[in-house]
Amino acid sequence: MQSQVASSRHGLMRRLGRALTTPFDPEDYLALFDARHSAREIRARVMRVRRETDRAVTLELAPNRLWKPHRAGQYVMLGVDIDGARRQRCFSLSSAPHDPVLTVTVKANGGGGVSDHLVHRCRAGDLLTLSPAAGDFVLPDPAPERILLLSAGSGVTPVHSIVKSWLSSGQTGRLVWRHFERNYSSLLLGESLRELALDGRLDFRLVLSAEAPRDGDLAGRLDEHWLTGNGLTESGLTERAGSGRQQAVFACGPQGFLDTVIDWHGRHGAGPLFHERFQTTPAGGGEGGRMRFAHSGGEAPAEPGQSLLEAAEAAGLSPRHGCRMGICHTCKCRVARGRVRDLQNGESREVVDQEIRLCVHGADGDVELDL
Amino acid sequence: MNAKVNNLDPVIFERQGVRLTRSQVEAFGREIEALRDEVMNDLGERDARYIRRLVKTQKSLELAGRGLLFLGVLPPAWLAGTALLSVSKILENMEIGHNVMHGQWDWLNDPGLDSSTYDWDNTCPAEQWKHSHNYMHHTFTNVVGKDRDVGYGILRLSDDQRWNPLYLAQPAYNWVLAALFQWGVAFHDLEYEKLLKGEKSWAEYRVQRRKIMKKVRRQVLKDYLLFPALAGPFFPLVFAGNLSANLTRNLWSYLIIFCGHFTEHAEMFTEQDIENESRGQWYLRQLLGSSNLEGGPLFHIMSGNLSHQIEHHLFPDMPSNRYREVAPRVREIAGRYGLHYNTGRLGRQFGTVLKRINRMALPDRLSRRPGRRANSAPM
Repeated sequence: MQSQVASSRHGLMRRLGRALTTPFDPEDYLALFDARHSAREIRARVMRVRRETDRAVTLELAPNRLWKPHRAGQYVMLGVDIDGARRQRCFSLSSAPHDPVLTVTVKANGGGGVSDHLVHRCRAGDLLTLSPAAGDFVLPDPAPERILLLSAGSGVTPVHSIVKSWLSSGQTGRLVWRHFERNYSSLLLGESLRELALDGRLDFRLVLSAEAPRDGDLAGRLDEHWLTGNGLTESGLTERAGSGRQQAVFACGPQGFLDTVIDWHGRHGAGPLFHERFQTTPAGGGEGGRMRFAHSGGEAPAEPGQSLLEAAEAAGLSPRHGCRMGICHTCKCRVARGRVRDLQNGESREVVDQEIRLCVHGADGDVELDL
Repeated sequence: MNAKVNNLDPVIFERQGVRLTRSQVEAFGREIEALRDEVMNDLGERDARYIRRLVKTQKSLELAGRGLLFLGVLPPAWLAGTALLSVSKILENMEIGHNVMHGQWDWLNDPGLDSSTYDWDNTCPAEQWKHSHNYMHHTFTNVVGKDRDVGYGILRLSDDQRWNPLYLAQPAYNWVLAALFQWGVAFHDLEYEKLLKGEKSWAEYRVQRRKIMKKVRRQVLKDYLLFPALAGPFFPLVFAGNLSANLTRNLWSYLIIFCGHFTEHAEMFTEQDIENESRGQWYLRQLLGSSNLEGGPLFHIMSGNLSHQIEHHLFPDMPSNRYREVAPRVREIAGRYGLHYNTGRLGRQFGTVLKRINRMALPDRLSRRPGRRANSAPM
């Protein structure tokens, strides 16, 4: 009852605050004092930058009140301003949901984009934006008793979160986790992995492909041979073939890695397979392409050099528009994902969840539009 | 710049001894476009810092202004509070709101400064503003019958508008429009004259009006009820302060905006003029239909950089902090093509606006003018 009164009072204060600051929000003014305040987006301050390797960092984040706890294994779109403009990229959260600090672990990819910026130029005190946590690479409820986890490279981050969450939720089963890495210097979250491995319920092994393994670690790479042959035998998995059929498999890594696991699982596995790819491949180049319409359904071709507005109209749609020359921004439309070409300067770029002007952009591959 | 007439490249523009052929007009357009590309490709950190600092300054001024008004029983506090609130409203409407809604800052990908979601602190709903202003006014600049900013449906500013006796009173009611400018802007997109002519349905009108009234209620509640009420016994002082700040903003924005398109040499166009208009001709019309104001950096910011009306019309979605930098180059290009670059101090430019308002109040045969559109030529 008391909390009801409190929450209705809170609601009233909030309405008053909004009425006093219309057409803005109270947060727009509070942001003068702490830039994390926002009514529109999750903003987080970087509290600490922990260096993992010379090419990777773990960022400890303190998000604003809009942040809702994630499920282990999920990712966020992290936004950072580079040369003034906000750029975004997906990163798995490496912390478990109940951890006191929220962390993402980022590896620089040398592309000069978000990851490189975060690894080389991000400092404590910087402000980032976060999307709500998303993704289906999560533990089902109830959590399986026995899980085989396979990860490679940056794929360690969501798996780390899943394992940490599983161990701390009082499960009694057993986890087998094999993480594949080139060498020790590229390993992320090493310290935390050693700590987790002390738990008797987790059998963790590092598998190295390009350096001699040290105490307890294994040598090798993930391929069909490793999975069907001695790899899993050494891991003590094949002897439990019977029960192994029932165990869930979680895999996260680059596409080639996943293809191998999916292929193997299709022939030998019986339990559910959860997998996530962390490297996105471009949708394909060339001018023109196919448009997919998220609202009205259906697809249509976009000719080379044709604007998305013209192409959508040719397909029988009538998107909102104005000047048809790029100046009035009436035709702005969200692109879920796709590759577009700016018809004014000829630049081609990958777009994820962004608004563009339909009249001055053409398709450059597949484009999914909110039309 | 003069050119020989030739069938393949006809003269399509002629003003006071300056003749430009089609290819020259297109070359002019390409130079303007090259300038645009150069600046747009250079946008970065310093532009982002400019707008973010401006937003911070504006919000701080607003908080300070509203705070001081609570102490409004002390005359200096009331005056300072009203002044700060006026400045903050002018900055928000003109240098932030107007420019953000043009999409000048969309490239930041910041949802707080995005043209599709931003709404400004006045009674006009953002969505309707974007239609009447970004689309109608900026695409059909100074085209009588298309650009409703030509007289806002109540003033006669061009001899292409038919005279009627009501216009005799426009030198007077022009000042009423100035004082109530935000209300004029709010109801602008209703296009009531189209309604009377049956070009617009009542249903559409009602939907629009409902949206306007919703925003009006919120704005009025904030400035004329809630903030005054928070001051308790000093209700009237805060009320008066807010009213004065809104009035100041109205007069100032009216002044700046009228100097942008209705000065003596700013040209008006007809719907025939823009038939089959090329991109180059469009740029040319933006230049000829706009006029600039001269002043210092602070004046430019306070005018929302509409003191660079010409640059704003050539590059409506270029961040406004860049106009001051490109202005000399636009002027140089215009000069090379022999085109008039209309600029002057505020007092002089506004004087010519008043002259136009007074002259157009009279029927054509009474207003003494040298010939109808001395500069008229096919365009």
